[in-house]
Amino acid sequence: MVNIQNALLWGYLLVSIVIVPGIITGLIRKVKARLQNRIGAPVWQPLLDLIKLFRKEETLSETASWLFRFSSALNLSIAVYLAITSPWISPRPDTGACDLFLFLYLFAAMRLFTMLGAMDTGSPFGPFAASREATLSFMVEPAAILSLASLALVARSSDLTVVFSNYTSQHWALWVLSGSAFLLASLVELSRMPIDDPTTHLELTMVHEAMILEASGKNLALVEFANALKLSILFGISAQCFLHAIPGLMVNASPTIHGIAGLTGLSLVAGSVGIFESLSVKLNWRAAPEFIAYSLAVALIATLAALGADFV
Amino acid sequence: MNLPLAQIPLLLIALVAILMVGSTHLRLNIWLFSAQALLVTMATALSAVQHSDSHLYIIAALLFVLKVLAVPKFFMYIIEKVEVQRDTGTVVRAPVAMLLSIAFLWLSYILARQLPVPSGDTIGWPGATAAISLLCTGLLLMLTRRIALSQIIGFLVMENGIYIFGLTQTNGMPMFIEMGILLDVLAGVMLAGLIAFRIKKNFEHIDVTMLTELKENL
Repeated sequence: MVNIQNALLWGYLLVSIVIVPGIITGLIRKVKARLQNRIGAPVWQPLLDLIKLFRKEETLSETASWLFRFSSALNLSIAVYLAITSPWISPRPDTGACDLFLFLYLFAAMRLFTMLGAMDTGSPFGPFAASREATLSFMVEPAAILSLASLALVARSSDLTVVFSNYTSQHWALWVLSGSAFLLASLVELSRMPIDDPTTHLELTMVHEAMILEASGKNLALVEFANALKLSILFGISAQCFLHAIPGLMVNASPTIHGIAGLTGLSLVAGSVGIFESLSVKLNWRAAPEFIAYSLAVALIATLAALGADFV
Repeated sequence: MNLPLAQIPLLLIALVAILMVGSTHLRLNIWLFSAQALLVTMATALSAVQHSDSHLYIIAALLFVLKVLAVPKFFMYIIEKVEVQRDTGTVVRAPVAMLLSIAFLWLSYILARQLPVPSGDTIGWPGATAAISLLCTGLLLMLTRRIALSQIIGFLVMENGIYIFGLTQTNGMPMFIEMGILLDVLAGVMLAGLIAFRIKKNFEHIDVTMLTELKENL
């Protein structure tokens, strides 16, 4: 019985890793399209795009070394590893520990290899975007760490699996604060809307898109999938934070309810990100630190609340 | 955090003040001030229920009418008249000032824990935390903003802080003193609004950093 349940949980996790990233990206695009009075592509369109990209021929820059293709493959493996170990979706099989610093710095490693791959091709836009990405990442690091560390402080463990297995919603205010801080930080981390518009192709301003300009065919499919997976993990973590804040929802609930709640929460977060992206305008590059300061402010309040909860 | 009911409005008051420091939209600031005044009213009403004190009910009603409705309404009217939308701020940018005000919140928490409070008093330390941090953030608002209106809002935030301190540490001052203070605040806001009109009329802006500039065609 335990074995069957475990196998089912593993099956659920693996199927989610393959399908959910595409659906979530498609959902954000759909919401944005509806708000612009367009019908928009169906939500599973990114999955079809991936299949199409895998069938396409690949063009490689002549100056690119082995590092270029290696970095996209490595990024995808890191993303899949994080998707298996981190609690971005519920219910999960027992996959061992997932330290929060390992979690955040593996994302940093992904970023490092994306940047290396971007600088490897000899395109002038790659290094441009890589320097922007590096600037953003070191500015957003304190906010991302503090929001998760405040949760770890209360749970007295830096293992995210332990942190997220406490469903008592005793510290609901802290969960809401950390969830919002982490969501704001992940918008920067993914270089999404207020920092950079992922749908425009203006090389002088774009961050993530300019780094993957040289990728094509199967390579582009790997990059796109790794990025969509990263997006689902980051949004999934903040969705789980919000779910933990609802009293009595997840305590002693069956795995089915956990699954439905997790997927609904993730879709709601993705939908609200879509709405937010439609309503906001891309910030001036010099205003980006101000936006990050807001996320840092929320994270700091969460840390204070965690310290206070420790004292009281 | 099993927060007792009476603590929630007090802590939210401090958070709303931090949000006010973080935003430069005048209208949003006024909405936030109105929300803060509503939370002050709720804290007063909760205290009134706790002590079954009829004076506090009257003060809560007055607070609601004056600070939640009348003062924000008057501010909106001034904004319509003098045609300003945002405050560009001086020296310190809004998000940085927001981080500063969070540091103040932390400091006031430490200070508030030093205060001697009777055991079993649940609103002593959150009240003192909110009050001290409101004093600091109000001062920060007054120091870092250019537009005269934001400075009046900063003053009102400080006034809220002093009121919260009185409410939570001494169970409120006598009703007539409280009413006198409210009347003073109303008169002060009216006067400050009139002065803002005059500044606008004479200088064609209400930027307090440029008041020393001479004008040619008076």
